[in-house]
Amino acid sequence: MVELVFITPFVTGLLAFVLPSAVSRQLLVLTGAVHLVLSLLLWKNTPQAWFAEYFAVTPEGLLSLLVISLLFFLISIYTTGYLAAHGLKSENIFTGFMLLFLSTMTMVTLSDHIMVLWIAIEATTLASAPLIYTHRSGASLEATWKYVLICSVGIAMALVGSLFLTFSMELGGVTAAMSFSALTPVAAQLDPAWLKAGFIFIVVGYGTKMGLAPMHTWLPDAHSEAPSPASALLSGVLLNCAYLGIFKTNKIMVSAGLSDFSGTILIVFGLLSIVAAATYILKQTEYKRMLAYSSIENMGIIALGTGIGGLGVYGAVICMIHHSLIKSSLFLSSGNILMGYKDRLIANTGQMAKQMPKTFVAFFAGFAGISGFPPFGIFIGELFIIMAAFKTGHYLAAGIFIFSLCVIFAGFARQVMAICFDTPAETGTQPAADHKNFLFKEPPGMVWPQYVLLLTSLILCFFIPDALYQTIVDAVHAIGGGLQ
Amino acid sequence: MTLYTVDTLLTLVLLSVLFAFGSSRVPALIKVMAFQGIVVSIIPFFITPHMATGAVIFTIATLVIRGVLIPLSIHLAIRKVAIQRDVAPIVGYHASLFFGLGLIVAAAVISRYLNIPSISDSRLLFPAAISLLVTGMFLLMARRNAIAMVIGYIMLENGIYLMGTTFSVRARHIVEFGILLDVLAGVMIMAVILQNIKQTFDDVDTSLLRTLKE
Repeated sequence: MVELVFITPFVTGLLAFVLPSAVSRQLLVLTGAVHLVLSLLLWKNTPQAWFAEYFAVTPEGLLSLLVISLLFFLISIYTTGYLAAHGLKSENIFTGFMLLFLSTMTMVTLSDHIMVLWIAIEATTLASAPLIYTHRSGASLEATWKYVLICSVGIAMALVGSLFLTFSMELGGVTAAMSFSALTPVAAQLDPAWLKAGFIFIVVGYGTKMGLAPMHTWLPDAHSEAPSPASALLSGVLLNCAYLGIFKTNKIMVSAGLSDFSGTILIVFGLLSIVAAATYILKQTEYKRMLAYSSIENMGIIALGTGIGGLGVYGAVICMIHHSLIKSSLFLSSGNILMGYKDRLIANTGQMAKQMPKTFVAFFAGFAGISGFPPFGIFIGELFIIMAAFKTGHYLAAGIFIFSLCVIFAGFARQVMAICFDTPAETGTQPAADHKNFLFKEPPGMVWPQYVLLLTSLILCFFIPDALYQTIVDAVHAIGGGLQ
Repeated sequence: MTLYTVDTLLTLVLLSVLFAFGSSRVPALIKVMAFQGIVVSIIPFFITPHMATGAVIFTIATLVIRGVLIPLSIHLAIRKVAIQRDVAPIVGYHASLFFGLGLIVAAAVISRYLNIPSISDSRLLFPAAISLLVTGMFLLMARRNAIAMVIGYIMLENGIYLMGTTFSVRARHIVEFGILLDVLAGVMIMAVILQNIKQTFDDVDTSLLRTLKE
């Protein structure tokens, strides 16, 4: 039953390669719907996995799974509109790999065995690489090369880290299974030296995939060169999957009593990412790269919150959910902008409020959400993290964090204003199209998925269903966090 | 007796590391890599004398994948790319070799002070694994030729596998096989990208891949 959730998209993904493109488009949406139903069923009554040694349903896994499922369903609806308006050369390769990508990401959320988790995360790299190369240009080739090489080498470090965990089991005389749920209760018996070494390697490894600075260099390229639905998936859910690896290992560290050590490492990497994003976001000339750097910032915030602990972990999980919802909506909107202006440079866009009013509303609301305006959840998450930082005496970290947030907001706002209201530069390669001649007409299927995503984020701020709330609290509680 | 065999094999691995540091041509590097793949994957036969059938099948599968399939796919990739080229070192060969020697000595010294659980008494197992790992990293960073970088990745994976054999009581073969398949698929994808890089840029020098920045 549990395994069915990732087997289904795997099978339909393979089918999509051989079916005609029109059918595979429908298959994409259909699989998205089936996947959503399956993961809701998983949520309702938690079944035992067929291979209980390798797979298990955990609170943090369930959370990520639901986010992935909802996002994929909405993105698949957008994708059908995108493919109809854009037309790719090898469409069923694209849809096939989208489905395989979904399958591997689902496997990440459900895997419990340390090595199986590694296999699943490496598989996400392989399933998503062809998506980045969809446009077959020199730049997309370069982005794919960087992505595959940097992520594979990075994740190889996580494999070394996982091996070190087994060393610590051997030396500690632990005979439990090599799964997170079996190791966490007996973590105190593990050999602390190898455990620490393992944690460092795992943070570096999965941190590469998650986009933590200074290992983030692949991320802006991959996100800007991939077609927009793929970027939305990469940024919205792939980064969370890598975070899950760190989160689960951190759980072992906390129950081994090494939370100070692991917390410090996460805080350092988190702050580095936030500061790196702040420096680069100021001088961005392309809007998709700007969004990519914003993802790096948010991943830094999540790592920071997890490192601070307590209320901070709760804030981090809130940030993770809302970042997925809002960022994927932003990337989908950026797809509309790219289709409308046929250019990725901010200088060649402008007056979007007039040219594409519906996309404008989604994009602007998304900008407000991602930069932490009060009605959206990111604000609440960031507030919790700052409160936790002050409570635990991390004054320097809180100071750097708040300062960087201000810088990022300033940089982001300037660029978004330019896209939405400025008159396009006369020197640009794309002359300002006037409103009547503007070719892109915003089909409804390419607008309302963004609205639904934003609305979900908004609703979750005022009303969290009990089951969801309980799951968040369970997940947070596991690494010593709470609402106190 | 078997202990000597294991250590002899591991000495071969260490020698191949030095070859990798010193080779200036891509085909030579591929031969070193294939040799390494074979040696690394037969080591389990000598560490555990009485293996179960499943373990034997898995080890043979490893041998086929690491020793034959992966080198072959890289070989075919450069056959299509159709040039025999210099590995374009960023760090020169003499400096590389010197680094390699220092690396082996350092790995041997450090591993004596580490408390490493092992299913074999072999003293060279951990140093050889670490040397392979660092060699892979070195080739990735100090060579501009894209093929040499892929070979570096494979050596790194060989090193991790070698390190894994010290604890293979733990991991079930089905899991190790999954890891192996992931690595194989990764190498295949890299080989495809290599061919595309050659077609698009007419070269495999990664310094051409510099358009995307910041």
